[in-house]
Amino acid sequence: MAKRTTILKASGLRRAFGSNTIFDKFNLEVRTGEAIALTGRNGAGKSTLLRCLVGADRPDDGTVEVCGNPMRETSAEIRRDVATVIDDLDFFPDLSVVEHLDLLARAHGISEPDELVDEVLEEVQLVAQSGQLPGTLSSGQRRRLALATAFVRPRKLLILDEPEQRLDTEGVTWLSGRLRSERQSGLAIVFASHEPALVERVATRVVELGAPRG
Amino acid sequence: MSSIEASEDAPVPEPRTYGHLVPATPRELKGMIRDWRRGRATKNLVEAIQDAYVVVIGALMIGAMIINVILNAQRFVASCTSVSCLSARTVLPWAAFAGAVAVALSVSRLFGPVLASAAEGFWLLDAPISRAKLLGLRLVAAVLAALAGGAVIGAVVSALTGSGSTEVLIWSAATALSAAAAVAFAAAQQGIDRHLLSRIFTYLFGLLAVAALMLVVGVAANWIRLDFAGELGSQLGLIMIGFSGAVLVASFVLARLRLRQIHRARLLSGGALVSGLSGAFFALDIGLARDIVVARRAIEIGQVNPVRGRGLGLGAIIWREWQRLRRFPQPLLLVAGTIVVPYAADALGMGSLSSVFAALALFGATIPLLGGLRVLTRSKGLVRCLPFSVAQIKLASIAIPATVVVIWTISVAPAFAGFRGTTVQRSLSEAVLMATATGSAGLLAAIRWTQAKGVDFGAPMIATQAGAFPPGLLTNLFRGFDVALLVTAPILLGVSPFWSLVLAAIVAAILLNSMDAESMRARQAEQQKMLQEQRKQREAAKAASQQRKR
Repeated sequence: MAKRTTILKASGLRRAFGSNTIFDKFNLEVRTGEAIALTGRNGAGKSTLLRCLVGADRPDDGTVEVCGNPMRETSAEIRRDVATVIDDLDFFPDLSVVEHLDLLARAHGISEPDELVDEVLEEVQLVAQSGQLPGTLSSGQRRRLALATAFVRPRKLLILDEPEQRLDTEGVTWLSGRLRSERQSGLAIVFASHEPALVERVATRVVELGAPRG
Repeated sequence: MSSIEASEDAPVPEPRTYGHLVPATPRELKGMIRDWRRGRATKNLVEAIQDAYVVVIGALMIGAMIINVILNAQRFVASCTSVSCLSARTVLPWAAFAGAVAVALSVSRLFGPVLASAAEGFWLLDAPISRAKLLGLRLVAAVLAALAGGAVIGAVVSALTGSGSTEVLIWSAATALSAAAAVAFAAAQQGIDRHLLSRIFTYLFGLLAVAALMLVVGVAANWIRLDFAGELGSQLGLIMIGFSGAVLVASFVLARLRLRQIHRARLLSGGALVSGLSGAFFALDIGLARDIVVARRAIEIGQVNPVRGRGLGLGAIIWREWQRLRRFPQPLLLVAGTIVVPYAADALGMGSLSSVFAALALFGATIPLLGGLRVLTRSKGLVRCLPFSVAQIKLASIAIPATVVVIWTISVAPAFAGFRGTTVQRSLSEAVLMATATGSAGLLAAIRWTQAKGVDFGAPMIATQAGAFPPGLLTNLFRGFDVALLVTAPILLGVSPFWSLVLAAIVAAILLNSMDAESMRARQAEQQKMLQEQRKQREAAKAASQQRKR
């Protein structure tokens, strides 16, 4: 079995909005095959922390490293390794569901992506919607498409913000199975969640942010 | 037996009856709403105008300037009596006429044209009252708006071609009536929820407009010989007035009758679109307004035949851009239409201004081609999924529109050579330089416009006499126009077009650099953080040495 390597390392992270400190001196190390679940109340800073980890937000202090390189959202190398599903994913209004996934796979250099794309489409139950334009999808279907974007491309680290959001019970069960198998295949995962079943099934470590639930 | 079945069998009370009720009339309801609104008003109209006096004076000044420019151009062009001038003078109002009908039909299909807000849909359209009476004024308002818009377009175009006041009046009336007839026709179609005819006529009149514009090019280039001596233009305009008037009356009556059976969903979707657009315009975020319209069109289309991609890496993005253009080629029609601008300007004896006019027209026509760039610019999520630098991704998404602009540049080069004896004659190399500079100006302006971010109302405001303004609010309005005018300025001033190309190169470098500005900012922030850490270490070392000395 290969030695576990550090994929993500956050040291001394601090983020504050005015006088309101969201988190301070936050440290986190994620190695291959590990899944870290961030839990906590609404407003505890889970999404802000994830945004800092993927470079969408800049921490006031501290550093984030991905595979030993400082995290820069604009760095092509980092985007090659990190698949993220946070709330700012947008879609081309005139490209269908399957075309989005095909584009993403090809952009990442997968020369024959048809099989992979079809497989993922089936998994996220969007086969019937494959020709639909994103504007016509329901919020749950859009969420499934967003999750699918993370699975049709090569990745070392998966960062997900409340991936269970807007999914039905069946969808959450599928997601927990998929994330578990991703972790078992050596992927590093950091995700924020309010779904105890998902956290229990996927996470190897749980980090509770903010004041503990009373 | 399930619990649900059991509850269904349980006895239920009879619904309450209210006796014989007479519903309120639409007039009573409207009167009530008007009273409530007046009761909540904190200012009257005069006070509101007094508060917005800067805006009113500004609008008056700009309006006066525009009218002055049109009148000057009209006087200048009217002096031209060559065959090409006369032909353009006759044919361009036809193009405006056909274009106005196409635009009126297209906008009508987009909004309704009869529409209702979500609140009206919920509170009024559910009530047992006549929808025809409730919405009658909406129909009149839509038709009047088209009438006003058509009149302005017809008047401006015929004035700019140097027509006399009678012709201006005739074409203004013809265009106004035709646009109004188009809206009334679309409303009649909306009443039975069928839009096929509106759609067919939109394309038909769009093609007619492009054909009329191409005719101007043909005449200006001496490929086609037309002799429009006498009163042909005016006579044709009068025929159009009669025909459009008849269509307007017939369509309006039909639309009014069909208002009774109009579908609520269609009324509300138009209302929702208007409220979204008004929000975007309130923030002067024209890009957002366009995004809303594009999203709405995509929802209307709904489904496409998926096409598997080609190529790998950046090639896949370029191929997808090409495929998107093939799927929705309508913007190409717009770009093709703008080819006529420098030819028409030349035909009308305004060769010196053709570069500015053409760049501005191309700027507007290129924006719909940059849909991919727009999506990649407005949020970071999609860019974050792609394994390339931001600049690379954006360059890939510009490749196809840039190719279209290159073809446009080749097509307009003869216009800049001044092929008519009436205007300035230029060497082929100079004409090519001018065409390239003009094409670059249009493309760069569109790229700048497309990349506009929404106004940041959280940023520090600028104090003005009209109140506090966020810095991006006004600059967003002039975005793109600034680049088009800057790049074409040397040509307008009679300096060598080479300098326009130099300016275009500088602007391109800045725009391309700004595409990766976030990366630069991130690097800058990292460097600042390192410097701060070094400073802290130095200070700590200094303090430690001082302590040791003590």
